[in-house]
Amino acid sequence: MIDSSTIFLVAGDTLEPVEAELRDGIEEQQLVDWQTQWQPALTEILRELARHGVPMADWPQSWHWDWRQKRAGVAGLLAFPGFSIMADDVTQGLAQVDLTRSARSAEHQGKPLAYVDYLEVAPWNRSDRGNVPRFKGVGTALLTAIAALSVDEGFKGRLGLHSLPQADDFYRRTGLIDLGPDAAYQGLRYFEMTEDRARAFLEEE
Amino acid sequence: MKKTMTLNLTDAEMRVLDDLSTRKDLSKTAVLRQALRLYQAVEVRVEKGDKLVFENENTREKAELMLL
Repeated sequence: MIDSSTIFLVAGDTLEPVEAELRDGIEEQQLVDWQTQWQPALTEILRELARHGVPMADWPQSWHWDWRQKRAGVAGLLAFPGFSIMADDVTQGLAQVDLTRSARSAEHQGKPLAYVDYLEVAPWNRSDRGNVPRFKGVGTALLTAIAALSVDEGFKGRLGLHSLPQADDFYRRTGLIDLGPDAAYQGLRYFEMTEDRARAFLEEE
Repeated sequence: MKKTMTLNLTDAEMRVLDDLSTRKDLSKTAVLRQALRLYQAVEVRVEKGDKLVFENENTREKAELMLL
């Protein structure tokens, strides 16, 4: 049984609050949305970028993610919970967490944390390339849910993740500590949220 | 929805639980929940035919953990 709670996003055009649903899980409905709504929207964005000669390095860096495959790989496993956000009856964001990892920062090294395996917002919610997102705050809401999960699991809000370069600034702004590029992980930068920062982040949100 | 159960542990097991709880900065319940997650994750991989191998970062020496 999936738990859900009401959260509020912000409409990108009017900046009015919009009621949304945070779900502690990713189910078939979300995977169907990914396939039937996200994929066509993403294909359109990629076509547009290609038409304008934008180099592939500047394309949305999660364009190749296959959520159906990701969830199938961890189906039934307690260590890999998922989260989804619904608004207007459509999936607006997805995240998958790995609860088997440990902190790397000197202060908390070896202590368990919630590692953000994947976090993605629907293509129409991306704010890059000067686009006005349909809904703002989806990524932050997912990160908040993961920090809250970390607290619930006794990990005191600690979370970690490898960031795609396009998301580095978002995670810095959100208060995660940049521990630098990880040579063992395609050179992606590794970020952590410490207990103190998680507490402040959750109070703020 | 969480359910409650009573756990009977030997002194030695309780010492290990206490030690892990301290070292990992987790409550005893959180340690056991974490252990369950890890056990399940390992079990599923092993059932698929994967091996559980530990590698020493410095020496690159590998040791396979046998799960019976």
